[in-house]
Parts: sequence; C-alpha cells; structure tokens
Amino acid sequence: MTDRRENLLLLAPGLALLALAFILPIFRMLALSVQGEDGLTGAHFARFLGDPFYLGVLWRTVRLSLLITLICAVLGFPFAYIMARARPRLRTLLLIIVILPLMTSVVVRTFGWMVILSRNGILPEMLRDLGLAGRSFQLMRTETAIVLGMVQVLMPFMVLSILGVLARLDQRLEEAARTMGCSFLGALRHVVLPLSMPGIAVGAVLCFTLSASSFVTPNLLGGTRVQMLAASIYRAVTQTLDWNFAAAQSVILLVGILLVMAPYIVSQGRRHG
Amino acid sequence: MADLTLTGIRKSFGRTEVLHGIDTVIEKGSFVSLLGASGCGKSTLLRIVAGLETASAGRVEIAGQDVTALPPEARDISMMFQSYALLPHLSVAENVRFPLRMRGIGNREEQAARVAEALETVQLSAFANRKPSQLSGGQQQRVALARAIVSTPKVLLLDEALSNLDARLREDMQLELIEIHRKLGLTTLFVTHDQDEALSLSDRVILLDGGRVAQAGSPEEIYEAPQTAFAAEFLGAANLIPAEIGPRGTATLPGGQHLPVPENMPEGPALLAIRQEDLVLSAGGKGISARLKAQVFMGSRTRHVLDLDGHRLRALSLGRPGLVAGETVRLAVDPDRIAWLPPAPTDRPE
Amino acid sequence: MVREVPLWLKVAAGIFLAGMTLLLLGPLVVVLGVSVSESQFIAFPPQGLSLKWYAQVFGDARYLVSFRQSLVLALIVTGLASLFGGASAIAIHRRAIPGAGILATIFLSPLILPTIIYAVGMLMFWSATFGAVSFLTLVIGHTVICIPYVLRTTLAVLSESDPYLEEAARTMGAGRLARLWFVVLPQCLPGLAAGMFFAFNISFDEAVLSLFLRQPDLTTLPVRVYGQLEFSPDPSVAAVSSIMIGVTVLLLLLADRILGLKRFSEG
Repeated sequence: MTDRRENLLLLAPGLALLALAFILPIFRMLALSVQGEDGLTGAHFARFLGDPFYLGVLWRTVRLSLLITLICAVLGFPFAYIMARARPRLRTLLLIIVILPLMTSVVVRTFGWMVILSRNGILPEMLRDLGLAGRSFQLMRTETAIVLGMVQVLMPFMVLSILGVLARLDQRLEEAARTMGCSFLGALRHVVLPLSMPGIAVGAVLCFTLSASSFVTPNLLGGTRVQMLAASIYRAVTQTLDWNFAAAQSVILLVGILLVMAPYIVSQGRRHG
Repeated sequence: MADLTLTGIRKSFGRTEVLHGIDTVIEKGSFVSLLGASGCGKSTLLRIVAGLETASAGRVEIAGQDVTALPPEARDISMMFQSYALLPHLSVAENVRFPLRMRGIGNREEQAARVAEALETVQLSAFANRKPSQLSGGQQQRVALARAIVSTPKVLLLDEALSNLDARLREDMQLELIEIHRKLGLTTLFVTHDQDEALSLSDRVILLDGGRVAQAGSPEEIYEAPQTAFAAEFLGAANLIPAEIGPRGTATLPGGQHLPVPENMPEGPALLAIRQEDLVLSAGGKGISARLKAQVFMGSRTRHVLDLDGHRLRALSLGRPGLVAGETVRLAVDPDRIAWLPPAPTDRPE
Repeated sequence: MVREVPLWLKVAAGIFLAGMTLLLLGPLVVVLGVSVSESQFIAFPPQGLSLKWYAQVFGDARYLVSFRQSLVLALIVTGLASLFGGASAIAIHRRAIPGAGILATIFLSPLILPTIIYAVGMLMFWSATFGAVSFLTLVIGHTVICIPYVLRTTLAVLSESDPYLEEAARTMGAGRLARLWFVVLPQCLPGLAAGMFFAFNISFDEAVLSLFLRQPDLTTLPVRVYGQLEFSPDPSVAAVSSIMIGVTVLLLLLADRILGLKRFSEG
C-alpha cells in the first residue's frame, strides 16, 4: 500500500458522506428552486421578488441582521478586550460567561427571553414602573424582541472571534503607544482597534450570516407578524407545503450570505494560496 | 569493511536536481560528517540513506545489502532528528523502548534492560518516568540520543542533532557523542552546517557543495589542504587572494607587492588561501603592507579587517597586538601555511 | 506605570461587565428560576419553591422518549463524526494528496452554510430519494453538521505536533498500521476529544435540522421544547430546559477537566 492510497482510504468515508448527504441535497434544493410544471422556470423567484410582503420580509432580515451585528460588535469589542487583558481568574470567569450560553440550546435561551419579555415579564414591568412605557406596552412579537434575543445568541461568536485576534496581539504595542504620548483610550483607539479589525470582520460576517438565517429565536420572539426570511422558509416547507417556493427563498438567502462572505472567502483563499 | 555504500545517488525535486551523483563508502565503526551550507543537499542525502526519501538514481547499501528499495522501517538504521521528534504521549522510558518494540527486538525484560542501559549511557536514568515535556532541551536531546542508540543499528544517522542547543550544552553534548561513539562503535553519519563541530567530532568529513562532494577526507586533510576555493572558505573562512606565481617561490599580489611562497608551487596564475590566524600583523616589521581598516577586540583574540591594495583581508591575532585602525601595518605569512588553489575562472564575489 | 488605567474607566468597565453578564446569563437564570416555581403559570421571579415540575417531567412519557431519542442520537452522531472527521483530518494534515487545502474547505463548508438551508435541502433530497424521513436521516444530517468541528479541532492539534514524528517512527521500525495506532492517533486524541464534546453538544441541542426532519415518532428534546413554546408553555418546559442547561454545564465541566477550558474555547 502506498502513502497516497492510505490517505485516500482515510479520506474516502468522509468525502463520500459529504458528497451524498451534503452536496447532493444542496443541488436538489437548487434544482427545485427553478423547477416548474413544465421544465425550468424563474416563477418562484419572480413571486418572491414581486410581492411587497416578501420584499418586506427580506428587507427586515437585512435590516435587523445589520443592527444585531452592529450591537454585537460595539458591545463585543470592549468585552473581548477586557477578557484579553484580565487576570487569569477573571478571564476564566468571563470565558465561562461567554461559553455557557453558547453551548446551551438556542431553544432554551429563547425561552428565557420569552419569559423576560412577556406581557408580565421583568423588562416590560420595569419599563412601566419607571414610567417609560404605557400600560399597553408590549415587547413580545416586536423587532426589538428579536434584536435583544439575537444579540444574546450571537454575542459569543463576536467575542470569541475578537478574542482570538486580541490574544495574539503583542501587549508591548500598547505600552509603546503609551510611551509615545497616547492616553489609555488613545492607545485603544489607535493601536488595539485597528489591529483587531480582522477579528471584528470575522465576527461580523458570522453574526450577520447566522442572524440572517436564524430561525428559532426570530420565530418564537417575533411570531407570525414579524417574520424574518428563515421563518418564511419554514412556513413554506411545513404549512403551505410549497417546496419549490421554499427552495427559491433558500437560494435567495444562500446568495445573500455568499455575497456577504465573498470578501472573507477571497482573503482566506489568498492567505492559503 | 564498509557499513554504508552510496553509489551514484541523484535526487531531483520536480525539475531541480539537488544531488548530482554522490559516491561514498563509509567504513564500519567510523564517524563521518556531512558538512555543507544550508541547501547543499546534505539533509536530503541523509534522508535517502534513512529511506525517508527515494533517490532518483543510485544505490544505497547497508552492511553489504542493497536497501535502495526498502522503506525506513525495514532498514537497520536509527535517526536522531533536529526537532528530537520525541513522542509526547510516551514517557522517556517508553520513548526509548519504542524502536525495540517496533522492531521486535527482545522480550519485555530484555527490552527493559536495554532501555535502562541506554538511559544510563546518557545519564538520564532518574528521568525514565517523566514525559518529554517535563524535560529541558538538553535532556530531551539526550533522550533522542538514547532512543537512537538503543537498538544498536548498523548505521546511526544524526540530522543537525545539536543545532537546537545553546553553545555550552552543545560542547558538552559533543564530548558526550564522542564518548558514546567510542564506547559503542556505531557507524555514524552526522549532518551539520557547523565546520567546528564537523572537524572536532569526525574521523572523516564529506564536504558538500551544491549537491556535489567538494572534498572528502580526514578533518586535518580538509583543513590543512583544501582542494577548492569553497573548501578553503567554508572551513575556517580563509582569505583567498588571486596571485601570479613567479619562479623561485615568489607570488605577485594584485597591487604589485611580492609575497614569499613555497618553491614547489606551480608557476602561473593561482588563488592563494591564507587562514585568518596565519596572518601575522605588526606595526613596523617585515612583510607586505596593508591598511588596517577596523578591528574588534574579543577578549582572548582580536579580529582585524585589512585593505590590501583594494582587496579585503581578514586576520585574527592572539591577545591585543596594539595596532591603530586607519594606519598601515605589515603582514607576514609563513610560506608553508599558504595553500595553492587553481585560479578562479571569474572573480568570486566577496 | 504605562499600563495604568484611569479609575473612572475601571468603574465603567465593572458596570459594563455586570451588564454583559446579565445579558448573557439572564435568560438562563430566568429559566432555572421558573422551573422551581410553585405557580401554575410561568412567572419570574419564582413564587414559592418546589420541584413538582421536575417530578412532572420525569413522569411524562413524551419527555422521556424525547430525552432518550436525543441522547441516542447525540451518542451515535458523536461516534460517527469523530470517526469520519478524525480520519479525514489525518489525511488532510499529511498534505500528501493534491488539493488538500481545497479538501479542507469542502469539509468545513457545512460550518459556513446556514443550517436552515441544509435542512431544506436534506428534507427535499431525502423525500425525493428515499421517501419518508427517519431516525437515520437525522443521524446523517447531524453527522454532516458535526464533522467540521471534529475536523477543525483535530487539525489544530495535529498542526501543533512535531511534523517529524511519523518519520521518526519509520526510522524506528514502525509499519503503517503501527504508525497510525501508536503515533498519529495519540497525537489526535486531545483534538478528537474536544471535537466529540462539540459534536455531542451540538447534536443534543440542535433544533433546526431536527424540526425540519420532524416525524410524529421522532421528536428530539429541543424540538419537543420548541413545540411547547409555540403553543402552551407551562413551567414543566422550564424544568426540561433546566435539565438541558444541566447537561451543558456537565459537558463543560467534563471538557474542562479533561482538556482545559482554554483549548475548548479555541475550537
């Protein structure tokens, strides 16, 4: 047996599984999205792009995903920075605070938010008590609820992405900046932030794509009224049973996500090539 | 009797040939160094002997048996890697036992005895149950050495085995290697880029240059009588001066000055190799004159850079000769310390 | 000292950390709180203290069946994913096959592709090819999702190991299988173990694929909880959710014990 044959033997099962159970299903979906009564058709896409309701769903998906990503970045960067510079015990504690929710089922976390945001939940009550909201104030089934829930769900991805870069950052760069007259915040702004950009970019791509394709949290917190794209796909699959339309929506989601990831994939390819 | 015979070894990676036909015979029990700059093909040659690379052409014989087509595991060799390649999940003793286990040498008790003996040899008996990560660099090195000698292979291969150590440890380890080689008498092939190491350890040095044997011989031969400009420069960094040899032992240097040389040197153009330590400097004595451009005091020695009519020379004197940089000094050389080399076809860049 | 941080910033950082902790852990704490409440209704802060909802869960056959299905599924998926992913990682790491870099990208692509898209594709493909989806469909789907995690963690530890170990083993007489078993596999173990933790955790908690491939007799625990949440949640859902949080904590403790939290977070 040659080395090459040994490696092929090791690789074959995984590759076969991937081809049969991953690549083929994707192609099946692509095929269904353009399949009509008689031959190829673009009707399913036309239906989506011609209906103000679905365009509204698409626009909401993009808008909320951007907002969620932005909030994650703004809160995630200082958090990751504090983690990177904290003493070991505090760092471990913060790591647990980030990882524990990440490893907990999205369904469970969303349930927590449903309790917090419900009519008599803590958050609406608090806002009412503070006089910031009226009696009929409602948080469940709003975009705010989706954003809150998704920020919590996706924050760990952003924090860990930034932390990965910050952990490798030479702390002497900051010290050097301080000796050159930077204040603490100045060093953060002029040295750490620019150097963390790769991590923030990776985190942002992750947050955006995950948020745009998320199903459980938006569906439970937003309900039928405030739909995002993934929920609309689910509905087409399980309720209206219009699989061609579901496939078309999935393709639209896929194309959008690939567009967002393209710069990242290209830069990765360059690094390897 | 030869333990290792290489015949016409060639090796190409893609279109570039890195070894252009190496022939050599290594006697049983000898310690041979493969010396050369990085990229000269010495490590590739060692890997071909080990079986880790396949030669594009040629034959490898170990103890009279043609092993060219055999994989490493079927050759009676062992190899010590520059990175040590200790198995991190095994203890020191288990690492040293690994070749015995894999080659099926002896039963458990015999293996244990041999492991104990090998660890004794490298003075690591106390560390048998440690993991490699719990050892210092020097100790890891010695584990790797114990693992290489425990199976008493026909040929022991050492690939830049001392390069990762600091200067002190390295000298200790060199002495230890000499000691172990004397005790076990293993035929050893040692790859290094360090000429001092090659000269001090080996019975024989094979100097490689650009995938060819530049010179092979005892350390004394190679050092005292370099046959090529490369050998002269690589070993001891000799000065190479183009000169015209005249009758009755006089050479004319580039600037027109005359230097006495041995009378038996062939007349005509030549390249004179003069070691740094053989140039004797004085403020106003005999000899040719040169300008002292700079000097560095290094404790027991002083290093000088000289300008001989536009030709750069380096010299090394003991102690502190009390010369002043910028002034003209005198250079004297014992004619017998000057080596003759064929003239360079074109001037080699400095 | 150059690294001196102004006091007001330290205070601000403290408040910020507290807020973030509340944001990240709040929902989990609320779930735990609801699960021990005496009240018939979901309420936080909990009213009274009782374990009756846990008792109800353990007496409910539907939850128990779902729990067993999730557990069996996660265990099978963990085994398969580590087998497939580990073997592929070894081959890719050796870089002996042309296009190993591209192969790695292909193997990691299930990580990039949103699960919902894969779920749609898998449902449509399976229905068209094999008819009704089954437990096997879910096993295969979860395995595909989990392989990249095992592959990544295993590749990471392999790339840290001494590249000459296999060659060294050859010069010591180790044949092909001996090298795989005595040299390569032990190098992989920490990565494989980390990957297995991920695989188990993901498979046990996964909801999207399981929802799309749901069958009346095939309802994993997250899907069961999801269904309850969509219709009529009572505090028993909180008890089940708390048990799921407990499983996660247990896994994390185990992972920390065996591998150290640091390695785990890098995967």
